[in-house]
Amino acid sequence: MTKMYHRLPVEAYTSQEWFDREQQLIFSRSWRYAGLREDLPEPGHYLSVQAGLNNIFIVMGRDHRLRAFHNICRHRGTQLIRAVGKTQKALTCPYHDWTYDLEGNLISVPDEESEYPGGLDKGCLGLKPASVDIWRGMLFVHPDADAPTLAEWFGEVEPLLGPHNPAELVEYPEARRSYEIKANWKIVVENYIDVYHLSHLHSNTLHMYDHARAEYGWKGPHYHFWEPPAPDYAKELEKNLPSPRVIPEPHVGAWVPMLFPGIGLGASEDSWNIFVITPLGPDLTRIENRTKLADVSAWEFTKQEWRSAGFWQGFGGPKYSGEDAAGEEDPMASGDFTSEDIYACEQQQKSLTSPYLEIGPAAVGESPITHHQQAVLDFMALQAKATADNV
Amino acid sequence: MFEFHRLTIKELRPEIGGAATSVTFDLPAGASESFSWEAGQHVTLRFDLNGAEQRRSYTVSNPPGAPLRITVKREKGGLVSNHIATALSPGDQIEVALPFGRFVLAPDRPARRTHYFFGAGSGITPLFAMIHAVLSDEPHSVAHLIFGNRSADEILFREELDQLAALHPDRFSLRHTLSAPKLLSWFSLWRSGRLDADAVRAAIGETPPVAQDVQYWICGPGAMNGDVKSALMGVDVPANRIHMESFGGAQELDSSVTGCAATLRLHLPSGSHDIPVEEGQTLLAAIRSNGLSVPFSCQSGVCGACRARISDGTVHMRNRMALEDSDIGKGEILSCQSVAQTEWLEVDFRS
Repeated sequence: MTKMYHRLPVEAYTSQEWFDREQQLIFSRSWRYAGLREDLPEPGHYLSVQAGLNNIFIVMGRDHRLRAFHNICRHRGTQLIRAVGKTQKALTCPYHDWTYDLEGNLISVPDEESEYPGGLDKGCLGLKPASVDIWRGMLFVHPDADAPTLAEWFGEVEPLLGPHNPAELVEYPEARRSYEIKANWKIVVENYIDVYHLSHLHSNTLHMYDHARAEYGWKGPHYHFWEPPAPDYAKELEKNLPSPRVIPEPHVGAWVPMLFPGIGLGASEDSWNIFVITPLGPDLTRIENRTKLADVSAWEFTKQEWRSAGFWQGFGGPKYSGEDAAGEEDPMASGDFTSEDIYACEQQQKSLTSPYLEIGPAAVGESPITHHQQAVLDFMALQAKATADNV
Repeated sequence: MFEFHRLTIKELRPEIGGAATSVTFDLPAGASESFSWEAGQHVTLRFDLNGAEQRRSYTVSNPPGAPLRITVKREKGGLVSNHIATALSPGDQIEVALPFGRFVLAPDRPARRTHYFFGAGSGITPLFAMIHAVLSDEPHSVAHLIFGNRSADEILFREELDQLAALHPDRFSLRHTLSAPKLLSWFSLWRSGRLDADAVRAAIGETPPVAQDVQYWICGPGAMNGDVKSALMGVDVPANRIHMESFGGAQELDSSVTGCAATLRLHLPSGSHDIPVEEGQTLLAAIRSNGLSVPFSCQSGVCGACRARISDGTVHMRNRMALEDSDIGKGEILSCQSVAQTEWLEVDFRS
């Protein structure tokens, strides 16, 4: 009998076959985060991103409009461009110098007459277009040139993501991080949306917010979450915020949604963060973090740091200390909630292959986990059906 | 579709100090459905003035759902525009044909688009209806208007546009360029000079698109339209994202070519006919003088009502404002503007 982890078989978290199917039916069929808008600051700039099985690049034209194409030369399939860069008017494949304009048209083939004496219909050999759009300051791509719009995909959940306008904020480069977690991507998502664990795993790191009063739910496959500041923090909130506000008063609280698939946001009164989850293998996942703060002077940050110092001085600390901690490197002694989460995810993944694994009942605060598992099943079923209908 | 209905004038309102007139019509009960329009469409009015029939096309300057209204700029010596401004009163009846036209912005609720509008003078009338339509019926989209005029006193719908900008600060931006601004003025203009290539590039650079489905709408005198379109093409805007209609000001008529006499084979829904076309005669005139009827309206090449498809022979069009290059590539012609260039022509009106 298939061993179940709530709604999904346990092998959904461990097997290569499940991983491949998710790559095909989820990550190659949905809008994928591709960066922040400022990553493409002016015409000619481009970047590429892996979206499931597709490598897609975005380039800004001279009209400041973005174009997205599959990063595949129409000749022998070579990837056209690398990572990020800047071009003037054309993109040339390194292999045989086939050259495309920024509309994806094949405009030049070296030695065309002698190499293709029978002629070459360049009009049929343009780059394959993909979809691109900017939403809440973030770049998104979709492999399908006729994808449903971001308004259709995120429209319903958008009002629940907080009053932030990320395009007006500035990135805090020191907070940019990319790291790997030795766990399946769904384990990482489940950790992100598990309301039950907040007061326990993070008993000493996230208690400035009042988890008992959290409000959360779903709009389609997208999870939304908001919680108010805890009474101690809220009492003199304007003084206690560690950095200047990014949203106007009287808005307060933390908005921590998880958009499908694996696009986490974390926004509060004074910061806006992304937590983008990319599956690398059945038990390996990459996380990309970026942070944006208020667009005000360093002096404003210094002043707010001083004002709030009193609150933060005695705040928090490690979950385990002294004899409970396993040395200085113990994540549970770090006093850092991200280290605590990574530790929990990896410790859970380790058990998933054990013959003795048996998942216990889901708690009320874990209802988002079963819901997400269902969202994964539903999305894959829908896409599998669409594939079957098209054949 | 091109038959005329008698509509009663509900209100006449002078605009920009009397240099233009807005005419609002009362629609008889039951007619509002057939008189529904899409933002950007126009209606043709028919008058009998000094013993001759006069037809003019005017854009509906209200968004769909609002009262049927046109806004007519007074042309110096213009027979019809001055008649509208001075001789009409509320309660009068005018002959009006049903709205039509292909310069249309159809709002799409789930769409997420950036619309740039480039207008000059009375070219604002269709754009005004389109901007309204975007702001009310395309909630995820934004609109940027770059509006050229001679001076601040000549800006049509100035207050209405200010109100829209105040109402939708996140979704509508309004920038004025004036070619002859008054020196002492409280008016805050964005740039002085004509709405030219520099202005187009500056506008897009200042407000680059967020939503990446970008559409460009151009409506003004022929020269401005050409300038804006080539400025856009100059920065690689694909032609299929540019929508244009010529409006107001002198249109350049190419009357350098006189047509030759020809035989025209005509395919109509009712059957086919071979008719003679006289030297210098337009195809439409030839068709009508042979007692046949085809759709037509403005007779100036602007509205596109008389479009047809040519399958044999060639014609010269004196004006082709209503056709895009791609239409002409498909063989479309405006019969009211076409004179024969070959002695044998075959033209199809059936689609």
